[in-house]
Amino acid sequence: MNLMPSSTTKLNEKISIRKLNFYYGDNLALKDINMPLYERLVTAFIGPSGCGKSTLLRVLNRMYDLYPNQRADGEVLLDGDNILSAKQDVNLLRSRVGMVFQKPTPFPMTIYDNIAFGVRLYEKIAKSELDGRVEQCLRKAALWSEVQDKLGASGLSLSGGQQQRLCIARTVAIRPDVILFDEPCSALDPISTARIEELIDELKQDYTIAIVTHNMQQAARVSQKTAFMYLGELVEFDDTTKIFTSPQEKRTQDYITGRFG
Amino acid sequence: MNEHTVRSYEEELALLDKKIAQMGGLAEQLLGKSLDALERRDPTLAEEVVMSDRLIDNLEREIEEQVISMVARRQPMADDLRHVMGALRITTDLERIGDLAKNIAKRSLAIADESHPKPLMSGIRHMVELALHQLKEVLDAYAERDADKALAVWRNDAQIDAMYNSLFRELLTYMMEDPRNIGISTHLLFGAKNVERVGDHTTNIAETVHFLVRGFNIADDRPKDDQTSSTLISGS
Repeated sequence: MNLMPSSTTKLNEKISIRKLNFYYGDNLALKDINMPLYERLVTAFIGPSGCGKSTLLRVLNRMYDLYPNQRADGEVLLDGDNILSAKQDVNLLRSRVGMVFQKPTPFPMTIYDNIAFGVRLYEKIAKSELDGRVEQCLRKAALWSEVQDKLGASGLSLSGGQQQRLCIARTVAIRPDVILFDEPCSALDPISTARIEELIDELKQDYTIAIVTHNMQQAARVSQKTAFMYLGELVEFDDTTKIFTSPQEKRTQDYITGRFG
Repeated sequence: MNEHTVRSYEEELALLDKKIAQMGGLAEQLLGKSLDALERRDPTLAEEVVMSDRLIDNLEREIEEQVISMVARRQPMADDLRHVMGALRITTDLERIGDLAKNIAKRSLAIADESHPKPLMSGIRHMVELALHQLKEVLDAYAERDADKALAVWRNDAQIDAMYNSLFRELLTYMMEDPRNIGISTHLLFGAKNVERVGDHTTNIAETVHFLVRGFNIADDRPKDDQTSSTLISGS
């Protein structure tokens, strides 16, 4: 658990979610969600399966746009601009709001290209500069020392934990503002998990981070703010310390103490 | 409150409460007996108190070990976290109460040959009775998870402090009247101080119970009425 006082500097709302509803066809999956995501803080989303936490994450970079019959109403403001508006360029949005998934998803290409690929899409930069960027990102993702001698090897040849860090490096490479983690450690062993958590801790100095996790201790360890969701509703949102020591809502209490159902 | 999905977790929490209740019962018993030993100057009873204190110490160790193991294996959260941490704090206070009772009992050996001033003795008895009542109330408050009851105990401690203040003055006067009284008076004074400390530990437990139930600390400051550390009897 992060015991540093989170309010030494004034919190800046990077993302403001307002009156957000989300539908899978006729099915209302998120009901009137209102909450902020603060800059340079880690916000954890917890709740039982099907409570809508991954859905909420998918709204934040409009992943749902890829599927028919899924729609959102309400507002999600990123630096004050509504990203749900039809005018929003979704490719640009996804370059600003990166995502790391439950299972590592490296591209079937070299380690180097896994990172360079996205950079080349968004920027025209010289080879030497690109080399520098690749190294910098791999260092940031705490992977450099393990792969510096085999940048030409396939990304798929790495271990699961390394692949996940490669995906994080890839996300960081295009310099997003926000990084979304959807259960980034659920397929990893404890040591790889600790590495990713350490990484998240470091990344929060530069980015706004949201993480969905089923591991309550992980949420308690890495985040400063925690949101508990249940049946598509935001039940409670507060400082992580508060949520895990004295939550206000009985449903939160029952869930985190293992009394649910 | 719903039950935990994992039943053995539920059982461990219940066991913790059982041990606290047991320890609390022992502490009450010890304090009562220590006063009897002091009043009757009964060395056998005093010895019994000293021996029983070991039971309390053993229980403290057991509870400590259980809490550590539960934190390691279960990672308690929210009210469960407050529950196990509260138990750990309460067990420390109860252990201290046992020590204080033991100390009172030991004094009965030191003053065995001295004459007893009746009124002073009844002053201490009165204090112990109140302290015992407070202790019983706070243990009930823990068992029943009753924050209001804990708050009442917390407020009531002022009474013990007031009794201690007046006893303190009486003992000082008694010593000034005749230097031969100094030995016994000093022992009684320490005895009374011990009872006053029992009251303080009871207050600590009350604070813990309040936090355990409500999730926040008792906000206002407890009225501090022990003025003896700044009291002098002037003149002769």
